Amino acid sequence: MSAQGGVQYSKIAEIKGPLVIVDGVESVAFDELVEIQTTDGQRRLGKVLEVGNRKAIVQVFEGTTGLSVSGTSAKFVGKVMEMPVSEQVLGRVFDGLGRPIDGLPDPIAEKFIDINGAPMNPEQREYPRDFIQTGVSVIDGMLTLVRGQKLPIFSGSGMSHNILAAQIARQAAVVGTSDEFAVVFAAIGVQYSEAEYFRRSLEESGALKRSVLFLNLADDPAIERIITPRVALTVAEYLAYDLGMHVLVILTDMTNYAEALREISAAREEVPGRKGYPGYLYTDLSTIYERAGRLRDKKGSVTQMPILTMPSDDITHPIPDLTGYITEGQIVLGRDLFRQGVYPPVNILMSLSRIMKDGIGEGRTRGDHQEISNQNYDAYSRAQEVRALAGIVGKAGLTGVDLKYLEVGDGFEKEFLTQGVDENRTIEETLGLQWKVVSLLPKNELTKVKDKFIDQYYKER
Amino acid sequence: MGVDSALERTVEKILQNTEQQIVSSLKEALKSSQATLANSQATLEQEHDKILAEGKKEAEKLEKQIIGNADLDSRNKQLLLVEESIEKVFEKAIAKLQSAERGSDYSKLISSLLQESIDTIGTSEIIIQTNSKDKSVVQSLLSKFSGATLSSDAIECLGGIRVQSKDGTMKFDNTIDARLDRLKPLIRKDIASKFGR
Repeated sequence: MSAQGGVQYSKIAEIKGPLVIVDGVESVAFDELVEIQTTDGQRRLGKVLEVGNRKAIVQVFEGTTGLSVSGTSAKFVGKVMEMPVSEQVLGRVFDGLGRPIDGLPDPIAEKFIDINGAPMNPEQREYPRDFIQTGVSVIDGMLTLVRGQKLPIFSGSGMSHNILAAQIARQAAVVGTSDEFAVVFAAIGVQYSEAEYFRRSLEESGALKRSVLFLNLADDPAIERIITPRVALTVAEYLAYDLGMHVLVILTDMTNYAEALREISAAREEVPGRKGYPGYLYTDLSTIYERAGRLRDKKGSVTQMPILTMPSDDITHPIPDLTGYITEGQIVLGRDLFRQGVYPPVNILMSLSRIMKDGIGEGRTRGDHQEISNQNYDAYSRAQEVRALAGIVGKAGLTGVDLKYLEVGDGFEKEFLTQGVDENRTIEETLGLQWKVVSLLPKNELTKVKDKFIDQYYKER
Repeated sequence: MGVDSALERTVEKILQNTEQQIVSSLKEALKSSQATLANSQATLEQEHDKILAEGKKEAEKLEKQIIGNADLDSRNKQLLLVEESIEKVFEKAIAKLQSAERGSDYSKLISSLLQESIDTIGTSEIIIQTNSKDKSVVQSLLSKFSGATLSSDAIECLGGIRVQSKDGTMKFDNTIDARLDRLKPLIRKDIASKFGR
C-alpha cells in the first residue's frame, strides 16, 4: 500500500447498466479498483473489466443508479481490490463487499490480500482427507464432508436449505483433534429476514465467535454479489493457510451469483450461452470452487459448501450442471421429502460425496462406516422400488421381505433422516441410527456389511 | 358311606389339582413379573442414561453459548476501546500537522508533491489548488514548473496540493489529507501495535 493515489478522470463516455465507460484513460490495469464519485460527493467502488483505445469499462459494484455522464468521475486507485485480514475478523459481520456492518470499527489488518486469491499450485495440493462432523446424520453418515472438499447443496426455491446451512454453520466441528475450526458464511442476495436468521442463529448458539459473516442482501446491488464469495474466500484462505485453522465456507445462494454474472454479461453485450448465462460461466465458477483444498506443509484447510437453488428444481439447469462438473459430489434436497415435512429433505439417491471414503473408517470415524452406509443406500433404494410396486399391486401383493423393506423406507426417513433443527448428533449416534434402520431387515438381507460388524451392531427389531 | 368317601376323595383330588394349578400359575406369574421387572429395569436404566446424556449435551451447548458470547462481548469492547485510542492519536497528529511550520522542508515537500502529480497525470499543463496557508509556498515554486498555474480558489485541507489538467478531464489529489486517508489502515495497525494489539 502506498500513499500515492490514482488519477481521477471526469470524461465519462457512457453509463450502461452496471457499467461505466471512462474515456481518455492512461496506464489503467485490468481488474484495477476504481472509485466512482457522484455529483453529490458519494463514493462507489468498481473494477476495470476491459481496457483499450484509451477507454476503460468499469463495473460498479454498488450499481449505477443516480449516476449521470456529467458530474461523475472515476478515480483509478492503482491496485486491485483487497480485503484487510487479521484474526480479528472472527466474530465479525460484514456486508457483501467486506465492510463491517456490526457497528464495530474496521478490523486492524495484519495483511491486505487480493480478493481474487493466488492460484493454488496443483503440485502443492494435498488430497482432501479427514472428517468434518456437521451433526446432521444424513450428511455425516452417508455424504460425509471431508476437509478440503467442495460439496454443494442443490436445493429448490422455498426449501429448507438456509435452515440446513445455518445448522451446519452452528454445529460443524473437527473431531479427534485440537486444531482450531472456523466457519466463513457468505450470504449472497438473501432476504433481510434470512440474513437476520443467520446472524441470530450464530449469535444465540455462541458459534459467532468462530465465524465470519458476509451478508449481501437481496436489495443490495446485484453486482456486489460478484465480490461477496471472493472476499469470503480470501478471509477463509487467510484463516486456513496463515493461521492454520480448518475453515468451512458456506456460500448461499450461488444462483444469485450466477444471475449477477449474467446481468454484467448482458450489459457488455457478450454472446450469451445457455439460458443467457455467459459462455465462461464454468470458468468463472471454477475460480470460486477451486479455492477449496489443502496445501502441503500447511496445517489448515478450506472446505466449501456452496448452496444453490435450481430454477424449477431442474438439475440440468446450467448452474447445477456446471457446478457438478467442478465439485466433488452433491447433496440434493428433494421436493417430495420436503412436502412430507421431512427435515433435512435430502434425497440420498441423487446425492453423493465423491471423496467420502478418504474421510471415514477406522481411526477417522468407525470401521463399519462405509459398509453400513452402503447397506443403508441399498436398503433405501430397494424400499423405493417396493413403494413403486406397492402403488401398482397393493400391499397385499408384496412378499414378507418386501414388506420389511417398506418398513425400512419409513424407518430411514422417520428415524435417521428426520432430525431437529437444533439436534446435533455425534457420529456414534448417527452410525447407531443407521444400524437401527437396517436391523428392521432379517440378517441374511445385510449383504454389504461384514459378519463381524453384524455380530457387533445388529439388533433385531 | 362308600359313595361319600369316593366323593370326598374326588373333591380332595380336585382341590389338590386346583391348588397345584394355582401354585403353578402363581409361580409363572411371579416368574413373568420378575422378567418384566428385569426388562423394565434395563429400559429404565437406558431411559435414565438417555435423559442424563441429553441433559449433559444441553448443558454443554449452553456452556458453549454463554462462554462464546461473553468472549465475543469482551473482545468487541476491547476493539472499541482500541479504536477510540487510535482516533485520539489521529486527532493529535492532525492538530500537529495543522500547526506545523511552513519552512524550507515544507517547501521541498510541496515541490516533490507537485512533481509527483505532474508525473502521474502525464502533463505539466495543470491548475494547482491548495489551502490559503500554503498559497505563498506554491506560488514561490511555480517558476520551476512551466505550464502550471495556481487557482485563486483555496481548498480546505491540512496541506499539500490538488492538481487538475487544464482541459478539466483529469484530477489528482495529493493533499496531506488524501495521503493520510490512503495510509490510514497501515497507520492504524502501527498505532494498535503500540497498545499491544
